[in-house]
Amino acid sequence: MIKVENLVHRYDGDDVPVLRGINLEIKEGEYVAIIGPIGCGKTTLIKHLNALLIPTEGNVWVDGMNTRDTSLAGEIRRRVGMVFQNPDNQIVGMTVEEDVAFGPENLRLPPGEIRRRVTEALEAVGMGSYAQRHPHTLSGGEKRLVTLADILAMNPRYIALDEPTSSLDPAGREMVLTLLRGLNKQGIAMIHVTHNMDEITGADRIIVMEDGRIVLSGTPGEVFSGV
Amino acid sequence: MGYKLGQYIPGSSLVHRLDPRVKIAAVMLVSITVLRADAFIVVAVTILLAGITFIARLSLAHLLRAVRPLVIFFALIFLVHLFFTPGAPSPLPLATYEGLYRGVLLTWRFVFLILSAAILTMTTLPSELISGLERCLRPLRPLGIPSHDVAVMVSIVLRFVPTLLQELDQIKEAQMARGADFKAGNLLARMKRVSSLVIPLIRNSILRAEEVAMGMEGRGYHRGPRTYMRELRMTPSDYIILALLVILTGLGVYRW
Repeated sequence: MIKVENLVHRYDGDDVPVLRGINLEIKEGEYVAIIGPIGCGKTTLIKHLNALLIPTEGNVWVDGMNTRDTSLAGEIRRRVGMVFQNPDNQIVGMTVEEDVAFGPENLRLPPGEIRRRVTEALEAVGMGSYAQRHPHTLSGGEKRLVTLADILAMNPRYIALDEPTSSLDPAGREMVLTLLRGLNKQGIAMIHVTHNMDEITGADRIIVMEDGRIVLSGTPGEVFSGV
Repeated sequence: MGYKLGQYIPGSSLVHRLDPRVKIAAVMLVSITVLRADAFIVVAVTILLAGITFIARLSLAHLLRAVRPLVIFFALIFLVHLFFTPGAPSPLPLATYEGLYRGVLLTWRFVFLILSAAILTMTTLPSELISGLERCLRPLRPLGIPSHDVAVMVSIVLRFVPTLLQELDQIKEAQMARGADFKAGNLLARMKRVSSLVIPLIRNSILRAEEVAMGMEGRGYHRGPRTYMRELRMTPSDYIILALLVILTGLGVYRW
């Protein structure tokens, strides 16, 4: 379980906090959608979930590990995978398979295990035949799938996604959404940030953010009847 | 995207399959040998080079493409030696027979250095080359050279070169759409206009670097030791070839 308690975040040099007291719990296997206007703090919030940011005030626990404890950052990042908005900046390998291997290599797994995970992760996103391709020869949707495989190769329990379908065409979007639902069914919790209402009707829970606060939270039925 | 200097040419020859460390060592050893080579060694090394090219199934055209960008440099070396070496006069004014000999010898040495490096990159996957480099640097770690970090740095540079080139094209097109002309004007005017491409490119790269760093950190990157999917294992043939190279280099150096 991920537990966020009274989280306040202020970027260095800013007077106004981006997050003003967030309380949130994400259970294992849950599909949580976070929506809200641009600048409401969605991205900042999910960066707290895998210790890329440390709270200014309050606490974030991932399976009981406080993100303030830097010695736990490695384990927290293994459990909470993060998919950023621009896939181009997330792919660091010269080929698809090397990129997927990057995470497991950081975990210092033995070579055979890395190879096994890379193959599995690429199969899981349907990119098995792309292993030797160079990233710049892929389409936007394919790059997105590679970034998902990157995270899957780390065997995460939670995946936080920052607008994973932005810049994709309708077909690519549908493909990514189907994949996310499938992975969720296999037990990986999804924390899906978006400002696209029609993407999140299938979520277990919708969290509406505004101006650094959670203003509404509930099942899609509850939230949409409230709107 | 066209063919690039020294770009990897897929193959399964003995040269392709050699351990990258052996190939890196070969380029270094052979470079040492030709450093003070006389005609005999130059001929011997040329034969060796031709043999490797044949085994690797590279064509002469591949090799020519690798040296083409440096033709002016080679010509300069040759001409300087041809005309400025004292010795018996030749039918050509100022040129000497000694100059011709030295010119050919020295130019060929430089061509050779370029060719051996080109054969290395043409027969080795960039990722293998980086793994090889990383392992070659490992013994220097006590001296404070972080071999793992160097390997990651090099591979990220190679990964982002095509991306930056694409971005440069986009910036250029965006400016041409607003009436910029990158071909008109004198050299100075054109250089000024290039700055309008380079500044946005640098700005974007810095922003990009920050995101890339965050993405890497999010995937558990940290400085220091990591493991590798690709394992390098020296086979008996790797050891035999390495031993042969060391012996040949020894003989070459002995002749100095």
